[in-house]
Amino acid sequence: MMAANESSDLNFPIRTANVGAICIISAAKSASVQLGDRGETKAKLRAIALQRQEDHTTAGDVFFESYPIFYRPFPVLNDPVDDNGAVIQLDRVNGSPNITVGCIRVTAAGSAASILAGNGMHLTADSRIKHIRQYPRLHPTPPAGC
Amino acid sequence: MIVFKVINHALSVGQIELLGISSASMLQVGDTDHVSLYSMFDTPPESVIVGPLAPFPSPDNAGDMLGESTVSDDDGS
Repeated sequence: MMAANESSDLNFPIRTANVGAICIISAAKSASVQLGDRGETKAKLRAIALQRQEDHTTAGDVFFESYPIFYRPFPVLNDPVDDNGAVIQLDRVNGSPNITVGCIRVTAAGSAASILAGNGMHLTADSRIKHIRQYPRLHPTPPAGC
Repeated sequence: MIVFKVINHALSVGQIELLGISSASMLQVGDTDHVSLYSMFDTPPESVIVGPLAPFPSPDNAGDMLGESTVSDDDGS
């Protein structure tokens, strides 16, 4: 009983991830799978999903710069506590040196997704997708004046 | 001063099954300090263009755009 109390007071500043097995069927389109620690991650995805009746080779190109979604700034988080200069101190105590997972099964990891078994410090991921459908009018309207 | 104290006890998970991890998402087994995930998906009603299948015009300053190798300078810019 005494030993149990002593072990609960221990602090392990760095925890280790123990994973028995990882089974991933698909990690596509800039998805990342990492076993180990990582300092900083900046994942970015921008896509125009254009559905057309005409072939892309004859219908012309599409440009990211035409749409404000691709260059609008990130939304701002209003934090009056932080703005007033108050400091938030984070104390983290790890009672166990390990995080244990038996088995991880992932069917698909999509665009700019991150699968990480290990410690990370700073992760920023940004995904911007514009969806457009373009198809011809079935009954063309007569020109004005007719 | 705000003191935020976190005590992590033993963490043991048997199995994780995921169908999909979508765009700008994360699955992590471990500790982290700072996570920011942004996702913008735009499908407004006006994104449906019904009409003649004319090519989309280039943006105004298309010739100055970086990373758009298909932009040519002779398309009116």
